[in-house]
Amino acid sequence: MGISGLTKVIGDHAPDAIKENDIKNYFGRKVAIDASMSIYQFLIAVRQQDGMQLTNEAGETTSHLVGIFYRTIRMVENGIKPVYVFDGKPPVLKGDELKKRLEKRTEAQAAMDAATEAGDTENIDKFSRRTVKVTREHNEECRKLLRLMGIPYMEAPCEAESQCAALVAAGKVFGAASEDMDTLTFGSPVLLRHLTFAEARKAPIAEIHLDKALQGLEMSMDEFIDLCILLGCDYCDSIRGIGPHRAVTLIKEHKTLENVLANLDKTKYPVPDDWAFKEARELFKKPDVIDPKDIDLQWKDPDEEAIVEFMVGEKNFNEARIRTAVHKLAKLNKQGTQGRLDSFFTVKPKDAEQVKLGKRKAEEKKEKLAAEKKAKAAAAKKKTKTPAKAKK
Amino acid sequence: MLEARLAKASILKKLLDAIKELVTDANFDCTDSGISLQAMDNSHVALVSLLLRASGFDHFRCDRNHALGISLASLGKVLKCAGNDDTLTIKSEEDGDILQLVFESPNVDRVSEYDLKLMDIDSEHLGIPDTAYDAVVKMPSGEFQRICRDLSVLSESVAIDVDKEGVKFSAVGEIGSGAIKIKQGAAVDDDGAVTTVEMSQPVSLTFSLKYLNNFAKATPLSDTVSLNMSADVPLLVEYKCSEIGYIRYYLAPKIGDDN
Repeated sequence: MGISGLTKVIGDHAPDAIKENDIKNYFGRKVAIDASMSIYQFLIAVRQQDGMQLTNEAGETTSHLVGIFYRTIRMVENGIKPVYVFDGKPPVLKGDELKKRLEKRTEAQAAMDAATEAGDTENIDKFSRRTVKVTREHNEECRKLLRLMGIPYMEAPCEAESQCAALVAAGKVFGAASEDMDTLTFGSPVLLRHLTFAEARKAPIAEIHLDKALQGLEMSMDEFIDLCILLGCDYCDSIRGIGPHRAVTLIKEHKTLENVLANLDKTKYPVPDDWAFKEARELFKKPDVIDPKDIDLQWKDPDEEAIVEFMVGEKNFNEARIRTAVHKLAKLNKQGTQGRLDSFFTVKPKDAEQVKLGKRKAEEKKEKLAAEKKAKAAAAKKKTKTPAKAKK
Repeated sequence: MLEARLAKASILKKLLDAIKELVTDANFDCTDSGISLQAMDNSHVALVSLLLRASGFDHFRCDRNHALGISLASLGKVLKCAGNDDTLTIKSEEDGDILQLVFESPNVDRVSEYDLKLMDIDSEHLGIPDTAYDAVVKMPSGEFQRICRDLSVLSESVAIDVDKEGVKFSAVGEIGSGAIKIKQGAAVDDDGAVTTVEMSQPVSLTFSLKYLNNFAKATPLSDTVSLNMSADVPLLVEYKCSEIGYIRYYLAPKIGDDN
């Protein structure tokens, strides 16, 4: 999923790019949410105490509805206006990745069957989470619920992340909420992680800014895309043996993947056959999205009776709980939204002196870190040297 | 280096009480003309801007511009150790990482020294445009505090309407509604007990009471408060503190349905 190790790379090279915030600081913000990914999360995470999914009388899963319903209300309660974006058809390049995921699921299914036979509850729980797949019905039901709740949603022609990114880039929404780091690779200026997490987890929302990440990495967007491909994305294989650290150094030195390949010791790092990095790059640069200009987002009042009919009548939820939740939604929609100062006042660029001071401090820190690293490396070398000598 | 002496520690105590609810850590920018502070609350709804002029201090010396990053909670703790009538002196070196506070009792028989650790605060400075406000209401600060407190019983927000007659604060909530009208008084003497309205056009805006109540914590600093309003721009609430400077609060308005 996403780009492997990108969070750490950004954390190491551009710590300024990641800010942690409380959910209540996002009031008044419109946010595009990667729906398919959230539904998947809900199916895995929203469980009963015995680890089974929530179901209605007929045995149909309802975990995704609980998730969408309550987490959306939590966001609205905090003044956030969500827009859900559903996946369209997956890009051709993702075929391999999807095949791999299917294999893993089948494997997990087999393991689960074995565990069920053996009566191993812990493993049943573990593997049943791995067999989760979002079906067409799940998606359809979520869409229906959102429609009733008056929350806008849209269907991306292709990947939801790329459509979210396009919405942010066009200024239609403030940020894209997804756990997938490739939302950044698709060019979303702001990525919000952990937004759809349960309140109980108390996880602060991580706000990642693309421009600051690029600044910190000292890369252009093109180089960044190449870096992500090298780190490993969903659309093509990565090179075995190249980890986050090496990937960053390689891109910094050679700028493009073509140059990296030309200078790479292929015996040491076997490049996959017909490596489709160019196609993947193209996909990141020009994803298939609906032009945000043609999108009109509207938040409407929830239809209480219809929600009750759907959630209580069809899905056996507790009527009283659903009604109180809907009331929250209705009340909040009516209240005026609190404006934010940053939409009136502009951030002043820091005066040169301050910047200099900041830079000096940062450099000092870097030097210190480097010195520490050197010391560590030297210590490590000493250690490795001694046994080598002993061998001789 | 910075060296500044205030005749009464109570001024700084009051200032701190007026801002510590809104911001937890802030940079105090020191220049040769005085000390200023600008900080937004976490959710970027309100901004507080503070100015202490050099001339308001008994003694003021600042050789080079620099910022003192201070945890307001910690400063509050240290200031608790000062008597209200104590003379307060603050000192810091440009490259140092501590702020030294010295409290001297009025008859100078007790001198206490405290060192407060400074911190690195990465703050954004906002450029605030000079605005000619449509309506400026000057009223007794205690009156304003009471109105905010009373109306917060009813609702989270208050509507402020200004017209020629005066100013009206109203709130509508689940248990009912309430309104307080203050008529414009004769603005003859300036003892702070009258309400004056200067306006070019009527204004009607809605604000969060939670923030206004926070602003009202500055009441002990000044007898009068001025509310500056224009349609669709942040409200400016200003408390002038005698000779030394001012504390200004900006609050983004609540916006009706923007769908």
